[in-house]
Amino acid sequence: MIERKEQADSAASFEAEALTHLDAVYRFALRLSGAPDQAEDLVQETFLRAYKSWGQYTQGTAGKSWLFTICRNVFLRGRERHQRHDEIVTETVGRDGPGLNPVNPVWVSVLGVDPEGDFFESIVDERIMQAIDDLPEEYRMAVVLSDLEGLPYADIAEMMEVPVGTVKSRIFRGRRQLQNVLYDYAVEMGYIAARAGTDE
Amino acid sequence: MSFFDKLRSLFTGVAPDGGASPSAMIPCEEALSVVHEFLDGELGGVSHEQVKAHFDACQRCYPHLHLEEVFREVIRRAGTGQRAPAGLKVKLMELLAEADA
Repeated sequence: MIERKEQADSAASFEAEALTHLDAVYRFALRLSGAPDQAEDLVQETFLRAYKSWGQYTQGTAGKSWLFTICRNVFLRGRERHQRHDEIVTETVGRDGPGLNPVNPVWVSVLGVDPEGDFFESIVDERIMQAIDDLPEEYRMAVVLSDLEGLPYADIAEMMEVPVGTVKSRIFRGRRQLQNVLYDYAVEMGYIAARAGTDE
Repeated sequence: MSFFDKLRSLFTGVAPDGGASPSAMIPCEEALSVVHEFLDGELGGVSHEQVKAHFDACQRCYPHLHLEEVFREVIRRAGTGQRAPAGLKVKLMELLAEADA
């Protein structure tokens, strides 16, 4: 009887604290796997594992990060079995950070013709998501966790098992790549006039 | 304040908050190098106020900050509108009930 009550309490607290992140975990799974059916499988496996480990989770702590960590691990383990041929990104990060030109040369071009950045509004969400999906996996994961889900660098670093400097580098480079891809697309579609010297 | 109002205030040399004078500002290079950390709320060696004072007063750097902000907003909006399929929660609840059985 007591066991049954504990089980019911556990299921209720899991629903209240973990299942509330279902949309976010699904979005993350979708960005990782690239396909809705695979994302659903990934989400189911993630929540099943989370449920089985619910006793070890400290309630009230960063539940979303915890679920993302499980989701990522399930995805990586699955990928070892069904290798998804993504570009593998390796980078070294020095003390000085990502080492990018702090000014995106594309912004210089944009400022000459569309200083408010209105061209972004012309790009449909599907095209933006496609550009995110096309990022190399490590950049994609970092950008999604930071820009879509709002996780702090430290949580992303812990999740991806890399130093914070590497997370920053991946986020910055991922964003830069996205900006350039979306700018090129906007030029191609005539949403913004091209200016000379846009190559980085 | 609109983008153009902001630019106008920069050209007149008056910071919108009447704040730091340009001579006390951190250099452009430094402000631009931390634009991501500034927007992410993750600054390390320099304070948020120092960086903000620079972007508030610098007509060269502010437009770059503005474009970064627009870019982020567009990405966030595109990426967070997606919801899990309607039946997925039901499937999950069944799965969890099976795990309990």
